[in-house]
Amino acid sequence: MKNRYLTIGATLAAVTLALTGCGGKTAGPTAGGDKGGSIASGMIMGGPPEFKTRTDGIPGLKRVYNVEFGQYKVTDVGGPVTVNALSRGQVDAADLFTTDPSISANDFVVLEDDQHMFAAQNIVPIIAKDKNTPAVTEILNGIQSKLTTDGIMEMLDHAYNDKTDAADLAKTWLSDNGLDDTGSDAKGVSLTVGSANFPENEILAEIYAQALSNHGATITKKLNIGSREKYLPALKSGSLSLFPEYNGTLLTFLDPNADATSTDEVDAALKNALPSNLESLDSAEAQDSDAIVVTKETADKYGLTTIGDLAKPAS
Amino acid sequence: MIGDVFSWLFDAQHWQAHDFELGIGDQIYNHVLYCSYALIIALAIALPVGLAVGHTGKATWLISAANAVRALPTVGVLVLLVVIIAPHFYGRTNTGYLLPTEIVLVLLAIPPILSNTFAGVQNVDPAARDAAYGMGMTPSQVLRRVELPIALPLIFSGFRSATLQVIATATIASYVTLEGLGRYIYDGLAQQDYPQMISGGLLVALLALTADLVLSLVQRLVVSPGITGKSRRPGTTTNVPDPVSADELAAGAARS
Repeated sequence: MKNRYLTIGATLAAVTLALTGCGGKTAGPTAGGDKGGSIASGMIMGGPPEFKTRTDGIPGLKRVYNVEFGQYKVTDVGGPVTVNALSRGQVDAADLFTTDPSISANDFVVLEDDQHMFAAQNIVPIIAKDKNTPAVTEILNGIQSKLTTDGIMEMLDHAYNDKTDAADLAKTWLSDNGLDDTGSDAKGVSLTVGSANFPENEILAEIYAQALSNHGATITKKLNIGSREKYLPALKSGSLSLFPEYNGTLLTFLDPNADATSTDEVDAALKNALPSNLESLDSAEAQDSDAIVVTKETADKYGLTTIGDLAKPAS
Repeated sequence: MIGDVFSWLFDAQHWQAHDFELGIGDQIYNHVLYCSYALIIALAIALPVGLAVGHTGKATWLISAANAVRALPTVGVLVLLVVIIAPHFYGRTNTGYLLPTEIVLVLLAIPPILSNTFAGVQNVDPAARDAAYGMGMTPSQVLRRVELPIALPLIFSGFRSATLQVIATATIASYVTLEGLGRYIYDGLAQQDYPQMISGGLLVALLALTADLVLSLVQRLVVSPGITGKSRRPGTTTNVPDPVSADELAAGAARS
């Protein structure tokens, strides 16, 4: 009996030792090398996983601004985890979206991207070529010409703070912008409208869907689908026929080596990169682009106004 | 694709910390760490409760209640707890995210351990129990020397299934900013780096199988050969003449 307990004890001890031996390091500063003690080198950056490898993510910060953060922590895609981590100090800088109402709600400071590292992120409808008609194009481009960043921020404010339904917000926006006229010029067209799983995209899909059905089109809605990896194959295969997209991220998704940054460049490159059965319509003035965001205290402490300021020496 | 996965796994660079990424060894360590915390806490709660409920036959509703917890959607609970708990922690600490993760994993690990412990103790042959009482054992002696050893194979199978579930589910730690092997799965999906994603899944599966193997070896050592029916080879240490459990236990009791 005694012997058996000894054997068990020895086995457990051996397993514990083996485990401690094989690792021992937790998430400490990992990027080696001398960064010259810049402000960024003492900071933890938070954002989505793909920001680590995206051309306009960490590699872009280094290339354009010579900014190298000390650590990177994967939070989420501009969502509540990122906002919480930044406001509570688990990260010092974060990747959020310019239309996010939590930026003003938390008094965060958006660092200016004066070298245009982030590609343009204008809202653009992607539609299946064989479902598109001149009337549909006209209706959608009419919407595109009225979409502004401020208008979207206002709708998002209602969506987040008053929990207003996406369908109601879309309806109000259409009537406010004089786009709620009805007609039958889109009769006979049947479209399946999809959206990603964040409120802004859902509202945009609702706007497209309601305007088109006001004009007689048959609309099926498949909202809240998820991320691009899930919905883009559905667009390619034709089970979705209309989708509100962002020209810059869609382009880098289709062509990871794309280096276009201005709206016109991105639009042109996107037309070439899209699969043959899809086309993009006019891009809106409204943008929902990435932004490097810090807290007000951090910005005041280091005197930060642009992303480039992060590369300055810390002292 | 399979070739890509292997070249990802065997790329020396991925085994070292580089460009904001930890090495594979470190991530395995972190993963094991998250799982160990959860399993130790779950064992500390579920084992005594299961033994007590099984021994006394009272409060059996606890077992059904714990089994009902299995129906909770893990990711949903995790996100809910993060939203509630994380804002209370300031500064460069992971506690606000580690705490919800561990709570979720403990909730996941308790039901299999608890219900198997309970079932193990309840299913002890009444004759063995009566014999133990008849020899003058106190209730706690009966529990420790008769019921626990006989229930041990079932307790182990509960703990092993809890371990498998926890190792597989601990990947969600990466969903809320923590490290661990889930990092490769989430990052791989987001970066469209599918070899990385599949490698992450493979590593989790390998870790789970290794843990189960280790536990099965421990089980072999701990569980009395009188229960498993495996008799000892002649010429080794103590001689156990008869594999009938009650007899062996009675002999053990007489020795002390």
